[in-house]
Amino acid sequence: MISLAALARRAAPVLACIGLLAIWQAASLALKNDSFPTAIEAIRAIPDILGDKESLINILASLRRMAVGFGIAVSVSIPLGLLMGRSRAVAAFFNPLLMVIYPVPKAALMPIIMLWLGVGDITKTLVIFLGVSLPVIYHSFEGAKAVEEKMLWSGAAMGLSPAQRLVRIVLPAALPEILTGCRTGLVLALITMITSEMIARQSGAGNILFNALDMGQYDTVFAMIIIVGAMGICLDAIFERVRARLVRWSEPQFDMPLSFS
Amino acid sequence: MMPQLRSTSIILGLAPIVLVIALWQGLVSFGFAPAVLLPPPGYVFSRLLQQLLTWTFQQEIAATLIRLFAGFAIAVVLGVSIGIAAAANPAINAVVRPIVRVLAPLPKVALYPALLLLLGFGHGSKITLVAADALFPILLSTYYGASTVEQKLIWSAMAAGTPRYEILFKVVLPAAMPSILTGCRIGLVISCIVVFLAEMITSSDGLGHVLVTAARTFQAVDMFVPLITISLLGLILNGLLGAVRAYLLRGFPEA
Repeated sequence: MISLAALARRAAPVLACIGLLAIWQAASLALKNDSFPTAIEAIRAIPDILGDKESLINILASLRRMAVGFGIAVSVSIPLGLLMGRSRAVAAFFNPLLMVIYPVPKAALMPIIMLWLGVGDITKTLVIFLGVSLPVIYHSFEGAKAVEEKMLWSGAAMGLSPAQRLVRIVLPAALPEILTGCRTGLVLALITMITSEMIARQSGAGNILFNALDMGQYDTVFAMIIIVGAMGICLDAIFERVRARLVRWSEPQFDMPLSFS
Repeated sequence: MMPQLRSTSIILGLAPIVLVIALWQGLVSFGFAPAVLLPPPGYVFSRLLQQLLTWTFQQEIAATLIRLFAGFAIAVVLGVSIGIAAAANPAINAVVRPIVRVLAPLPKVALYPALLLLLGFGHGSKITLVAADALFPILLSTYYGASTVEQKLIWSAMAAGTPRYEILFKVVLPAAMPSILTGCRIGLVISCIVVFLAEMITSSDGLGHVLVTAARTFQAVDMFVPLITISLLGLILNGLLGAVRAYLLRGFPEA
């Protein structure tokens, strides 16, 4: 039996979505602007996009690149971040380099990488990889740094090798923080994917968006915005489920995403 | 940290940057990459210095900076006030929380075409995009900072006779300051990135536009120049914010 308060809490995001769509509808009715369709018109255009085979293939290809880029980034960044957190030399080695790279807009590297590797999947995946790595490295680093020394000493006393200690003590202890980084990374992966496709304008979801804008199909533009937005919200919600399951033992966290670095 | 330790860690930290530049130079001078695709680092940096002195390039930087600061300022004002309001008032919290949960993970760049249609191709759409992107980290960290203020501090202030509305400015805001500044720092980096991307997607001026123009004419050197400029700007602004932070947080135990 779910209590009324819990039900309200669960329904709140849905209500928020409906409320935002209602504000949109009201605003567009009030403005009467040709290039600003109402929410209902935009929602009506969604089935056309998802029904069209070519755009569906495009969107799925985008998602595939995103998954590959995200996967590679996570599998490289977590070990690096943990090593940085546990070894002062490794941290001193990588920190300044990462600090210099940090404010570079990763999707802006697109044109340069395109010169070297062409416009294919490799370029786009590489850009997503770069975008995801930094927050994951940073959060793994912070998480590993905060591991209690006593646990590591106990592990060492029980005869664990340094590598074993990293996998069996540091990794689980830093997991909540690492997953926060991954969540940020996931949203960033989506952002980088869309942006890089907007800049390269060859295929993918970002390209559909801007092609529709160029051709003046405004309801398609807004429908694509809804689709991309829904992807972001769904990915985040799914990840949050997984995260809650993996780190059930840790203290209950705030249910809003804390960091978007 | 001991001075000797610090100098070793600086040397250790400079090593990878030097390595990267050396590798870059090596790739060019041993002919692995043609200079058209990858210009040598010395050439890029001299071009950067030369460009920084020209009036047109300075104007592009100014256009970018205006958008960056305007967007960031809007985000700070909105983020801090909404964050504190949500932490202080349960009714506002109940409204803000679900909206933020929906909007925060939404990729804001996707809104850019809509902003273009509504606000035109000028400053307005870019400033709004920057503000929308930088808003959420600032709002969220303000909220966490303000909602974790020690209740004892508020009680003491009330016991000392501080009126309710003054508690906000005299207790909650200063106590939440470290967290707010962390949010601002994240928001600032995001602003740098977003303003550049927005200018790349559509613009007639600004650093992002310089990069796109260079890319269309295959001028590899001129593609590196705006990229390096924006990351330098990011580092300088980050440093400035660090100074502001050190000033605002003087007297805090660990800042």
